[in-house]
Amino acid sequence: MSSDKKDQNEKICSQLLASKSNRRDFIKTMSIAAAAGSAALTAGCIPSANAASSEEMKLRWQEFFKENYRMMTQEEKDETVARLERLAKLRNNLDLQMSSLPPIEGVLYGYAFNITRCEGFMECVSACVKENNLDRKTDTQYIRIFEMEPGKLDPSTGDGQYYHEVPVENKFYMGTQCFHCENAPCTKACPTKATWMEPDGIVVVDYDWCIGCRYCQAACPYYGRRFNWGQAEIPKEEITLKQHYLGNRLRPKGKMEKCTFCIQRTRKGRLPACVEACPTGARVFGNLLDPDSEIRFVLKNKKVFRMKEEIGTDPKFWYFID
Amino acid sequence: MQAQQKKNLITFVSDVIRWNLRGGFGFQLFRIVLFGIMGLGIYAYSFQARYGLSVTGMNDVVSWGFYISNFTFLVGVAAAAVMLILPAYIFHDPGFHRVVIIGEGVAVGAIIMCLSFILVDLGGPLQAWHLIPGIGLFNFPSSILAWDVLVLNGYLLLNALVPAYILYSHYMGRKADERKYRPFVFLSIFWAFSIHMVTAFLYQGLPARPFWNNPLMGPRFLASAFAAGPALITLILAVIHSSTTYKIERNVFNKLRLIIVISAIINLLMLFSEIFKEFYFPTHHSSSAIYLFFGMDGHNSLVPWIWTSVCVNLMATLVLAFNPGKNNPKVLLPACFFLFVAIWMEKGIGLIVPGLIPSPLGEVVDYLPTWVELCVTLGIFALGVTVVTWLVRAALIIEQDYGDIPDAK
Amino acid sequence: MTKIFNNCLIVLCCAIGVGGQAQASEKSFLDEVNMSNEKFDNRSVPVDKLVIQESVLAKEENQDGPFRVLTRKKLIGRFKCSSCHTGKAVTANQGLELTHSDIALKHGQEGQALSCIDCHHVEERNFLEDKKGRKIDFDHSYQLCGQCHFRQKRDWLGGAHGKRVANWAGERVVFNCTTCHNPHSPRFEKRFPATYSVPLD
Repeated sequence: MSSDKKDQNEKICSQLLASKSNRRDFIKTMSIAAAAGSAALTAGCIPSANAASSEEMKLRWQEFFKENYRMMTQEEKDETVARLERLAKLRNNLDLQMSSLPPIEGVLYGYAFNITRCEGFMECVSACVKENNLDRKTDTQYIRIFEMEPGKLDPSTGDGQYYHEVPVENKFYMGTQCFHCENAPCTKACPTKATWMEPDGIVVVDYDWCIGCRYCQAACPYYGRRFNWGQAEIPKEEITLKQHYLGNRLRPKGKMEKCTFCIQRTRKGRLPACVEACPTGARVFGNLLDPDSEIRFVLKNKKVFRMKEEIGTDPKFWYFID
Repeated sequence: MQAQQKKNLITFVSDVIRWNLRGGFGFQLFRIVLFGIMGLGIYAYSFQARYGLSVTGMNDVVSWGFYISNFTFLVGVAAAAVMLILPAYIFHDPGFHRVVIIGEGVAVGAIIMCLSFILVDLGGPLQAWHLIPGIGLFNFPSSILAWDVLVLNGYLLLNALVPAYILYSHYMGRKADERKYRPFVFLSIFWAFSIHMVTAFLYQGLPARPFWNNPLMGPRFLASAFAAGPALITLILAVIHSSTTYKIERNVFNKLRLIIVISAIINLLMLFSEIFKEFYFPTHHSSSAIYLFFGMDGHNSLVPWIWTSVCVNLMATLVLAFNPGKNNPKVLLPACFFLFVAIWMEKGIGLIVPGLIPSPLGEVVDYLPTWVELCVTLGIFALGVTVVTWLVRAALIIEQDYGDIPDAK
Repeated sequence: MTKIFNNCLIVLCCAIGVGGQAQASEKSFLDEVNMSNEKFDNRSVPVDKLVIQESVLAKEENQDGPFRVLTRKKLIGRFKCSSCHTGKAVTANQGLELTHSDIALKHGQEGQALSCIDCHHVEERNFLEDKKGRKIDFDHSYQLCGQCHFRQKRDWLGGAHGKRVANWAGERVVFNCTTCHNPHSPRFEKRFPATYSVPLD
């Protein structure tokens, strides 16, 4: 180790000792120390296994020691987004555009699903897979469409794995996904506050803060969460490059993920991919706080119901009938 | 002992290590086999570290499997040490006083296994530091898992430090000051109940899983734990009694048998009550129980498992209750063993896996652990056994060689 | 012993306190939603993606005021119709191709199926015609469809039928009736789904 690096390390150590560490400082100094240490390591001592550049190592260390997204200042959010973009460039030569766009004031998202209109074409599912960079190897899907027998309204009585010409006479179709409950059991369960409800009503996961204990998955009454059991595989040319930190960015293995109402789109005024792809207009999306929005029209003028309302989760996802 | 002045904390630790490296050929072989199994576990875990949890049998429906099953069961074993502590310290039972240290050793081993199971079950073990209060972000008191982290680690500390203090005092040739450790003993009694209740609440608090969302969960956890734990401790005491010079009084075994029988009967009663509720008028919420006991949609991998468990449990309980061999250890010890295994089957996989099947949307899949899960589990068991043997061996040597000194004075 | 019980009580109270914050009454965020009557300006949201499809201002308004619908005329291959239908008898070389033999009319209930002139204007072929004899522009077919499908039209105006284009915010641009439905055969055709769910185990 060269002498100036030693000096640097000593300085960092003394900083570390001197600072009356609140947590943020602690983590920051840790990450600086770690970055310096790793730079020193890659400079000579340990040959890097996959020829990782020292820049990549440094970025990865900083990423490892970063905070929960909710505790970050906007500046820190910009930094981590920049790091993630750079890492994607270094490792996979991807030109991402990642955002950390905050929620829009006065907006609470709501979703309605018309079970009369849905014909089971599943265009929503494939649009979702494409938009949200879902794993193609294990065919992860956020949306499930159930082919339902008449006379029953519980998806557990339906067929979620149909593949034949649709619509079938005398059947109806019912889609499920994350319902973004106002009183979400999953966020209550998470031991590290890695999942929470944003002010605009979207339940999100900080993929880098999640420890992968899957308690939220056990707590979800709607089968709304998916786990990265292995490393997701997506053909490079199919990766959606417009990403959001809390949305469709590429997830590491061992982390929980879920529908985010396409946060990367909706915070920019766009419709979620499933709504945009639906060929029958069975999906209605909008701002619940806007009295003139489509979703409010549905709530006011249609007979709506929510799944498993008796649990008291208060989903922001309604089913309705024409 | 003339070398008393030379003794300090460092010699205490080094002596404990030294005693544990000694031992006959059989003991060494046992130790090597345990190390071999641990190595196998580490080898299996390396696959998991590389490819993620996809190498396990778990999936998005059965998102908790063999690891969490064993974790849940072992929390009970750990909590059951209280069944030795309670009579020893509160009722001042002299027989139990002699074996309480062994119970505490078993508790420490069980808790270490619990924590290891949690660690190997995590998708991101490197991020486990997010759980440390202060450095990470701790969702307390909202998340029951956060409570569980606290109570498990607290229990580990209590059960490690109190005996360590007592043993160290004996090692130093003085009597342990009861005023110093007694509050912690009381705390650990209360804590033992809490670790098990909190672990039960982990499941009980999930309205998404009607099989678990059941107010009997906590009490039943305790009842089954106070049957399985003392059964294991009985076996361990029997091994110690027969293979070492540390002799255990007969009436300890008799009292343990009583504890086991009462707990096992309460456990069976609660099981019956649950079965009645699920099957007298089956509702939507009974589907997990139907899957468990009778299978569903052609998926029935757990049916033989649970029926084996229930039958063995019943038989063992009857044998222990009616005591046909008139306290013959050749009858009672196998009964303890089978009771332990039956409760392990029922409270491990028989509780965790069906809670997740069918999925909240009604899909039924079968779960089978893969070789990775089995080997990692075996490795953790070996780790636990190693910890217990180390602790118990050190404790017994101190108790036998040093423990009597204060009385002799 | 009482100490132990006291301790247990405290723990229980803690646990109940944790659970108690969940929800004690029927209060729901929906109260807040239903009470929020303040107008939200959709155009204040910076919209990332502009609607590229051509649209026209609708001739009716909904609860939110004026809105736009996607155009139709540009998508009709041989518009304007008057280039052939000049009022005289039509003679065409590629008769089979140009006499609309490709259109299979499957609109209306069994036994009382519609015919061309139920919707198309008899004289002015560039327009549609409703039952009251009003001329209706192809871009505003909702005025025609809505005379029978009045419930769907009401839903469409409000937002429960049909769909918006691209954005939930910004200016409201919605699909026209004919963007999704083939007016000659409005029911969606049977087909295979775009994908399927793999078995979970």
